[in-house]
Amino acid sequence: MSAIETTGLTKAYGDLTAVDDLDLVVEEGEVFGFLGPNGAGKSTTINMLLDFTRPTAGSATVLGYDAQAEADAISPRVGVLPEGFDIYPRLSGRRHIEFAIKTKGATDDPDEILERAGLSADDAARPAGDYSKGMRQRLATGIALVGDPDLLIMDEPSSGLDPNGISEMQDLVRTEAERGTTVFFSSHILEHVEAVCDRVGVLNEGELVAVDTIEGLREQFGGGATMTLTLAGPAAEVRSVAAELQGVTDVTASGRTLECTIADPAAKARLVTALADAGATIRDLRIDEVSLESLFTALTNGDVDDSKTQDGPADAIATEPEVAR
Amino acid sequence: MTSHVPTVARKEFEDAGRSKLLWSLIGLLVGIVVIGYVAIWQTVDDTTAAEVLSFLGVPLQVILPVAALIAGYMAVVGERRSGSIKILLGLPPNRTDVVFGKLLGRMGVVGLAVGLAFLVSLVLGAALFGSVPFIDWLGFAAVSLLFGLMFVGLAVGVSASVSTRGKSMAIVVGLYMVFVALWELLTAGPYYLIYDEPVPVEAETWYLVLEQFNPLFAYSNLSTSILENSVYPFRFQYGLQEMQAAGMTPAERYPGDAPFYLQDWFGVVVMLCWLIVPVAIGYFRFKRTDL
Repeated sequence: MSAIETTGLTKAYGDLTAVDDLDLVVEEGEVFGFLGPNGAGKSTTINMLLDFTRPTAGSATVLGYDAQAEADAISPRVGVLPEGFDIYPRLSGRRHIEFAIKTKGATDDPDEILERAGLSADDAARPAGDYSKGMRQRLATGIALVGDPDLLIMDEPSSGLDPNGISEMQDLVRTEAERGTTVFFSSHILEHVEAVCDRVGVLNEGELVAVDTIEGLREQFGGGATMTLTLAGPAAEVRSVAAELQGVTDVTASGRTLECTIADPAAKARLVTALADAGATIRDLRIDEVSLESLFTALTNGDVDDSKTQDGPADAIATEPEVAR
Repeated sequence: MTSHVPTVARKEFEDAGRSKLLWSLIGLLVGIVVIGYVAIWQTVDDTTAAEVLSFLGVPLQVILPVAALIAGYMAVVGERRSGSIKILLGLPPNRTDVVFGKLLGRMGVVGLAVGLAFLVSLVLGAALFGSVPFIDWLGFAAVSLLFGLMFVGLAVGVSASVSTRGKSMAIVVGLYMVFVALWELLTAGPYYLIYDEPVPVEAETWYLVLEQFNPLFAYSNLSTSILENSVYPFRFQYGLQEMQAAGMTPAERYPGDAPFYLQDWFGVVVMLCWLIVPVAIGYFRFKRTDL
C-alpha cells in the first residue's frame, strides 16, 4: 500500500487549473519532498489530500483510504502541518497540544511533544497569541506529532523558521523517518528538501515535471558534475585523453584549462590518473556538482514542455555559468 | 467513528470564555438586571417581584440577540479566515464536529450569561421586593434561554455558510434589522398594497402567520403568556397596521379560536425553526465548500 496515491487529480478554479491531472505515488516509509515555486499547486494538492479542498476530477488515497469519502479514517493516522494556518490566540501552547491529544485519543505526554517541537515549558504556558511566527510553526509541528502518526504531511514546514530552526526541522524529519513515519512535505526552497528527502517530485504550474531521487535527478538532468582542471601545459594536448575516458561525456579545452563533464562519479579519479599517465601536470582541480537549485530553475523555468520533448533541461543547466555549490 | 463534538465544544467554551468582549456582554446583561431592579425598587411603590420580571422583557429583546449574534457570527468563518480551522480539521474532528461543537460551545457561553442574569434577578427580586415568583421566573428564564440560543444558532449557521467575516456580519445584522425595524414594512406594506387598507386587528391569516414567525414577537408573546404583565415586542412601527393591533398576539387577533400555529405556545416552534434552519443551511454549505 502506498502512503499517498493520486490518480488524475485535478483542481480548476474557473479557467485556472491549479493542479492538472496529477499522478503521484508516495511509498510507505519514505521522505518525499514536494517541490515547486510559489503558486505551482503544491498547497492545492495537499489541501485535496486533507479534504480541505475537493478535486474537480480524479481522486487521491491517503494510507489506502479515499481522501474524500474516508477522510475520517485518515485524520487519526496522519499528522498535519498546514499552510496558512493560525493558532488559537487565547489558548496556551500546552492547551493546544492537550486538545490534539484528546481528539486523537493518544496517550502522549504533552511536555515530551512540546520538547520535541522545540517549545520551552514557559512558552507553552503562555497564550499562543503572544508567539512569534517561528514559535507558532513549532507549536503546529508539535500538534502534528501527536499520536505518533503513520504519515506526516507538512506544507512549507520551514516557513517562518530561522536557519537554526530549519536545521532542527530537518532533524525532526529525519527522526520521524527513522521511527518509520512516512513524511511528505512541500517546499519552494530546494536546499531544505535536499538534505532530508529520499525522493522529490517537482511541480510546476500544476503539473508534475519530475519525480526521482536527488541522485537520479542529478544523473538525469545534470550529468553529475563538472571537473575543471588547470594544467601546467596547453590543455588541447591532452583533450583526446580525457574525451576517450568512459564516464566523461564532454570535454572543452581552452588555454591551460580543461573542462570535463562527468556522468559517472568514478570517472573523476580515472580522469586524474589518465591525465597524469599522459604526462600532464595538474596544478589545480575543481569539482562542481550540479546544484539542484539550477536544476530546479531549469525544470520550472516555464519552458518545461519544450525541454521535455527535446534533449531535456540538461542544456539549460549546462549553459548556466559557474554552477557552484 | 467517535464524535468529537464535545471536545470541540469544550475548547470553544474555554476559548470564548477568555474573550473580553463576551465577558462585557455578560456584564451588560447582568448589569441591566441589577440597574433595572434597583431603579424600579427606588421609584415604584407597591410592586411585586413577578411584575418586575416582565420589565426585563424589552431590554432582553435587544441585548440577548446582540450578545448571541456577537458570540456566534464569527464562530466558523472567523477560523476559516484566520486559518486555525486547518489545524482543527487536520486533527480528527471533521466538519460536522466543527459546526456542532462550535454551536454547543457558543450556546454554552450564552446560556451561562442568561443563567447568571436570571439568577441575579431571582436574588434581587427576593431581596428588594420580598417574593420569589418561582414558576413565572422559571418559565420566563426558559423562554429567554431559548431566545438567546436561537440567535446563537442563527449566527453560527450564518458563520458556517459564508466565506468572509464581512458577509457574516452583514447577514446577521441585516436579519436582526429585519426582525426589529423592517418587519412591518415587509409584511404590512404588501398587505396595504394588496387590500388597499392598513392591516386591521382581525387581519388575514397569512399575515398573522407572518407575525407569528418573527422571533422577537414569538418571544414577547410567549413571555406575555407566562408573566403577569405584558411584554411588548420591540419593533419599529410605521402606522401600516391599526394601533391597537400592535400589542396583541396573533391568537388574540384571530377571530374565534386560533389554529394551533397561531397560538402563543407555537412561538417555541418558531424559535426552534429559527435555530435549526440556519444551522442546517450553514452545515450543508460548510460541508461542501472548499476551505
